[in-house]
Amino acid sequence: MNLTETGQSRVNGYLFVLERSLKTFLPGDVVRDAVREIESHLRERIAAADGAPNERVALEQILAELGPPLRVAQAYSAERAIDEAVITGRLVPVLSALWRVTAKTMIGFWVALAVSIGYTMGGAFLFLAAMKPLFPDNVGFWADNESGIPRDLAMRFPTPTREHDVAGYWLIPVALVVGILVLRSTHRYARRFLTRWRERRALASPGQFVG
Amino acid sequence: MSHETWQEQLRRGALDLAILLTVSTGPRYGLAIIQHLEAFTDLVVTEGTIYPILGRLTREGLLEATWVEDEAPHPRKYYTLTRTGAKRLADMKTDWHAFVAKIDRLMHASEGRQR
Repeated sequence: MNLTETGQSRVNGYLFVLERSLKTFLPGDVVRDAVREIESHLRERIAAADGAPNERVALEQILAELGPPLRVAQAYSAERAIDEAVITGRLVPVLSALWRVTAKTMIGFWVALAVSIGYTMGGAFLFLAAMKPLFPDNVGFWADNESGIPRDLAMRFPTPTREHDVAGYWLIPVALVVGILVLRSTHRYARRFLTRWRERRALASPGQFVG
Repeated sequence: MSHETWQEQLRRGALDLAILLTVSTGPRYGLAIIQHLEAFTDLVVTEGTIYPILGRLTREGLLEATWVEDEAPHPRKYYTLTRTGAKRLADMKTDWHAFVAKIDRLMHASEGRQR
């Protein structure tokens, strides 16, 4: 079927909306490849519809079978975000995928909360390790002068008078090791959760995105 | 859970296996995969949503994608099963047969009780 100008505009409009939707969350080269593939699908279907009496009806049916552009884009989004996080394990995709899961399920919300606390704690340990050489009298594992019981690991301004630092420069290696361990464990847990969530999603969430 | 929900879960669970089986006979482009699935199953409800799955299977290293420019008036993206994909497919087939056999056994046992 050779498309008229109106038919061609309809196809271009479909591809335009798809491209715009994909661009909001996919890199440019991936978007171009996806749109090219969908366009190839459409051209093939249109060519096969040769001899159809009514172009508009035939074209609308082809587009309906392909699915609305927003739904197709949504399917790309769903397949992509979690996969990238699970496969690459990079921090930004993991956080982005967690954000998506948070919005969808209650368990996702609690896991995201726990993971946020983990990342913050790990980051805080590393921050204190980095600050100790710069502010040796203000960063420490503070113990009460009277009882001698250590109470908190913190950065204090001005330097406390009723407390003393019990860790000294040992704080640096200890905080570094603890910080790295907390960050690694948190990240590993987040990735494992997303892997399981992806596996479960393959069998659940009926009619949401796929097919 | 409604009957439709249960059917949808079955369909989604089988889609990856169905796509890998389709490509296992030789390289195919997207529409050819969809048409093959439509000819043998009712797994494809919305054609456009098969492409993201093909993309994921490619990213996972189970399929390899190549654009072929000069075969048709428009370029086609062909998918081929990789060695990893072939191994995964073999595992999935084993799992599938085992699963069906267990459910069949359960059904026979249940039918035997009812008689």
